[in-house]
This record gives sequence, structure tokens and C-alpha cells, in this order.
Amino acid sequence: MAGRILLIEDDDRLADYIANGLSEQSYTVDRAANGRDGLFLATDSDFDLVILDRMLPGLDGMAVLKAIRAAGLATPVLILSALGDTDSRVDGLVAGADDYLAKPFSFAELLARTQALLRRRSPAGSVESSVLRCGDLELDRLTRQVRRGKRKIVLQPREFRLLEYFMLRTGEVVTRTMLLEAVWDYHFDPGTNVIDVHVSRLRRKIESEPDELPLLHTVRGAGYRLAAD
Amino acid sequence: MRRILSSTVARLVMGIFALQLLSSAAAIALLYTQMLGVIEADRTSQVIDLRDDLLAIYYNEGSPALERAIAGTGGSLADPALFAEAALPGGMNVRSHVARVGTLEPGIRPVATRVWQDPRGEALNALAQTMVLADGTRLTVGAVSAPDRSFDTAFAEAITLTVVLTGALALLGALTLGYIISRRTHAIAETAEALGRGDFAARLPHDSHGDGFDLLRAQINAMAERIDRLVGQLKSLSSSLAHDLRSPVARLRASIDHALETIPAGESLEALLLARTDAESLETMLADALELSRLETGTLADRRVVLDLAEVADDLADLYEPLAEQAGIRLERQLTSATALADRELLARALSNLIDNALKYGGRTIIVGTSSGPSEAMLWVADDGPGIAEADRETAQIAHARLDNARTRPGAGLGLAVVTAVAKLHDGRLELLSGTGGNGLLARIVMPVA
Repeated sequence: MAGRILLIEDDDRLADYIANGLSEQSYTVDRAANGRDGLFLATDSDFDLVILDRMLPGLDGMAVLKAIRAAGLATPVLILSALGDTDSRVDGLVAGADDYLAKPFSFAELLARTQALLRRRSPAGSVESSVLRCGDLELDRLTRQVRRGKRKIVLQPREFRLLEYFMLRTGEVVTRTMLLEAVWDYHFDPGTNVIDVHVSRLRRKIESEPDELPLLHTVRGAGYRLAAD
Repeated sequence: MRRILSSTVARLVMGIFALQLLSSAAAIALLYTQMLGVIEADRTSQVIDLRDDLLAIYYNEGSPALERAIAGTGGSLADPALFAEAALPGGMNVRSHVARVGTLEPGIRPVATRVWQDPRGEALNALAQTMVLADGTRLTVGAVSAPDRSFDTAFAEAITLTVVLTGALALLGALTLGYIISRRTHAIAETAEALGRGDFAARLPHDSHGDGFDLLRAQINAMAERIDRLVGQLKSLSSSLAHDLRSPVARLRASIDHALETIPAGESLEALLLARTDAESLETMLADALELSRLETGTLADRRVVLDLAEVADDLADLYEPLAEQAGIRLERQLTSATALADRELLARALSNLIDNALKYGGRTIIVGTSSGPSEAMLWVADDGPGIAEADRETAQIAHARLDNARTRPGAGLGLAVVTAVAKLHDGRLELLSGTGGNGLLARIVMPVA
């Protein structure tokens, strides 16, 4: 799942970490240390994703984002910012950002979101089926029925949304923050392991029989991954 | 009204009233005596005129003419208030407008005496003079001062009216004065109270009467300005500190993450995992500190909409229920519809802090509830844990305050400070009370109903 990523970040050491980490995941990373260079690169060549720091010398991150969108580019943009509150998040999303990550963040979180944004870009199955599958686990988004092989699984509405979110991202790492934002619509960190308990409950329901293979895997230091392997 | 009649103002008002009344009474008394003097002088001259007329008749025309003049009640005696009596040497009396005159010694000026115009009637006050003429006739002339009574009545009425008017005016003046004084002092007191509560933006409106109140105002505003600046400096210091620490902490965590991916299992891995946990809690503390400074400085946009607090609480109880269950704690709901103008995200954050606290420090049961009064909507979390001693409750709401019994547990000590800041942003407050049955803690966010 390689892709070309433009990283616009003025903190050299942080940029090093991000670039190295992404390179190890076999992404190609181009770097710009200020807004002007970043905007030039973004409009000059073709990228699959732009990771943009909000506070930049020269040209502010929001101005770069607006200029990119004004130039008619639909490249997904992930904003990094020390301003993590709802306001700046909303401002960024309104200005055309595709996702928003508050500093400090873990690399795993950045990687998970990067993958999610890149996947959204690649046109997967043209017409989405109402039935999602992962191994012998099936979720019907219309009838809201879930089954594992022949076994019917009864889920609470919130558990259904949780599983649906995982199944739409089969094989990808999903972080706790992503789940909290998507399933509960909260943009703060409740601090304790609230999400873990919900995931364990879901896991107990979909892996309740001894002969059933584990599907919902914990990814150390990052989050979870739903996969049939 | 009770405020206006409070002791100092009331005493001032009473004093003013007494002084006004006293000066009015003195003026009336002076006027009265002077009027009496004028009237007395007028009567005296009337009596003297009558005396001179009758004496002229006697000396020019003789005794019979005097008798005729008195009996005829004409000329000078046409005024019924004037009277004359001549006691002739033969023992005969001629009288006009009078029945009897009290004993009177001959004199050179009219003096006060009593006369009877009707023999069976009442005695009247009069001014009269008696003289003995050359032929032995005893002539008495005088004027009755009967109208005195209506004169006195008029004065009594005037005095009553003056007292009533003075009283009303004094009361009006007093109320106005009291109102002005209490308005100005209460504005000052209210501002001082707001400052005491921690609303350092409170200022007194500028006023230019140039009096002592203005001086006080200026001093209080200057004091508030200084407090505000110091607190602001402190806040921006901690906020920029937290802000500056974010990038290094992010890098620290990134390094640890990176190392974790390459290191083989063993003691070093354990150490790295511990370091990672610490880096994470450092991140959380920084995020909380920044969040708190944003909440307190009010730099957040107003995203409040009319919400049912019961829905916010229900959602959050859903989120925490599995965690509570895992910890063997019962999470109950007592939700009744309570609408308020609220920011869902901020309220959820505040409520999550309260539930988190209850899970950490509470007992075996946590109740999440909402209720609504006629003017206030409430969102509360009650637990049956050890609670917070009444003396410590105020401290608990201050950032970084950790209570003794909480010191050994994790947390940055910002939890309740965040809740307080969120409550303030909703024009409300956080109340910490004893839980049900006097046990545990009842933490309650109270805000205006929408």
C-alpha cells in the first residue's frame, strides 16, 4: 500500500521521526520545512497525501490548505496541530482538511490515519455491498444482522456501529481515538481504558465459540485490527 | 427597602428629618409671634383712636354729647369689635357693644382685660383703657380680640400642614439619598464579591462625580487590574510551558515507539513499556493543562445549542458502563429531561471527568443523573465512596490541588478544575455536596435552564 506523501512540518526532529517511520512502512516522503515551499511542492507534483503542520513559519498551515484547495487539488490533507481543541479541528475540517490530529500524537495513530486516508483515495469495490465480510463474519448494514458462520450474533446498537467501523477497515489498524471519534463522536481523551472494554465485549461476542478463529487483534501501542488471517 | 433603611442610612435620614422639622417649626413660631405683635399693635392703635375721638367729643361738646356718641354706636364705634363704657358720676352707665368690663385701673395705655358682650355669655379677651374725666365720669374704651381663636386655628393648621409636608419631603429626600448611597456602595460591594469569587474581569463602571466613591471605585479597579494581570501572567506561563513541552514529549514518545518495534523481548522491553506509560501520562497531563487554560481564558468558540442533558448523560453512561462493570461497580442512571443551552462535547468532557473520579475514588455504586428545576438544570454524579471533607471541597476545584487521600493515585489533579471551568462557560457552577445518605460525594453541574 505504497504512496507518495508530502510532509510539511517545521520542527526538524519531529519531521525526521515522521518521515523515517513512514519510509519504513514503504511510503515515499517528500519534506518541506515552511509553508511556501510546501505549497509549491503540493501544487507542483502529484501526491497521494499531504501531512500539514498547522503552525508554520512563512505561510500558515491554514493558508497553505486553502491555497491547495483553491488550486483545485483534491489531495487528502491531514492536519497536525498543537491546537487540539474542537474549534481548530472544526476550522481545519471546514477549510478542506480530511483529518485532524492533535499534537502530541503517537506514530501509530498517525500511521493508522494515513492508511485510512490513502485507502479512501484508492477506489476500492465500485458499488459497496450492503453486506460486509471478514472471514466467516458477516455484517448486513441494511438488515443490521450479524452472523459468524451459522451463528447469529446479537449486538447492541453501539456494538453494531463499532463492528461496522472495523469491518469497513478490515486489515487496517484502527486506534482508540479513531473509534471514540467515529462511534461516540467525542473528540477528547477519556483517559482510562474505556474503549478497550467496549472492544473486549465485542470480541467476546464475535469470538465466543472455541472453534472460532480470532478476528479482532490488539496491535500493541496502536489499537486494533480486524482481520481473518 | 430593608437595605435602604439599614442602620447608617436610617440614622442619617432621621437626623435630616428632625433638623428639617425643627427649622420649619422655628420659622412658624417666629412668624406667629411677629404676627401677634402686629395684630396687637393694630388693636392698640384702634383703641387709642377711639379714645381720642371720644375725648375730643367730651372736651368740645360736653358730657351729654359723649353719652350720645356712646349710645348712638355711630362714627368711631361703628366697628362691633370696638366698645366703650361711661360710668357717669350720678351712678348711671352708658355702654356700647359691651355688657360688662372686668375691673380695670385707670392708665395711660390700653392693657389686656376681659369683657362680656353678652351678660350671660363667655368672657372675651380684650384690650382696654380706663380714664377718669374732669367731671368724674369713668370712661372705658377697648377692642375685643375675639378673632384670635380663628387666627390660632389657622396657625395650627399651618403647623400641621408644615409638619406633614416636611415629613413627606424628608422621607422622599431620605429615600433618594439612601437609594443613591446604597446603589453606589452596592455596585462596589458586588464587584468586590465578583473579584473574590475569581471573576477577575469584573470592573466598576467609570463615574465622574469626583467624590469619595469615585476614589474608591478607581482604587478597586486598579486593584482588580493588577490581580487580573498577575493571574493572567501565571496562566499564560503554565499554558506556554505546557505548549512548549508538547513537541519534546511527542518526540520522546515517538522514540520509544520506534525502539519498541525493534527491541527483542526482555528486561529492556519491560523498561521501555514503563517509559511509554509514563510518556503517555505526561502527554495526557499536558493536554489537560492546555485544555484547562483554553477553557479558563474563554478562547473557545461558543458552540452551545439547546440540548437535553439527559441524552448527554445517557451517552456517557453507555460509554462508561462496561468499564464500571469490569471494575465491579454499579453504574446507575436517574435521568429526567433537563434542557439547557450547552456544548455537548464540553459537557461530555466534564461529565467524563466526574465519572472517572467516581470510578477512581468512589465506592461500589455510581449514579449519573439529570434533573430540572424552574430555572436551573442539573447534571450530577453521585458515589458512595469516602467523599470529600467539607473543608476540602473548595480546594478540590482548584487546578493541581490533590487531596491527601487521592495522592497515591494517578491523575494530574486537573479533573475538577476542568469541570468548574466548563460549568462557568455554561453560566453555571460546580457544586460538591455530600452524597445520598450523607455518604460519598455528589458532584453537581448547575446551569440555567433553556
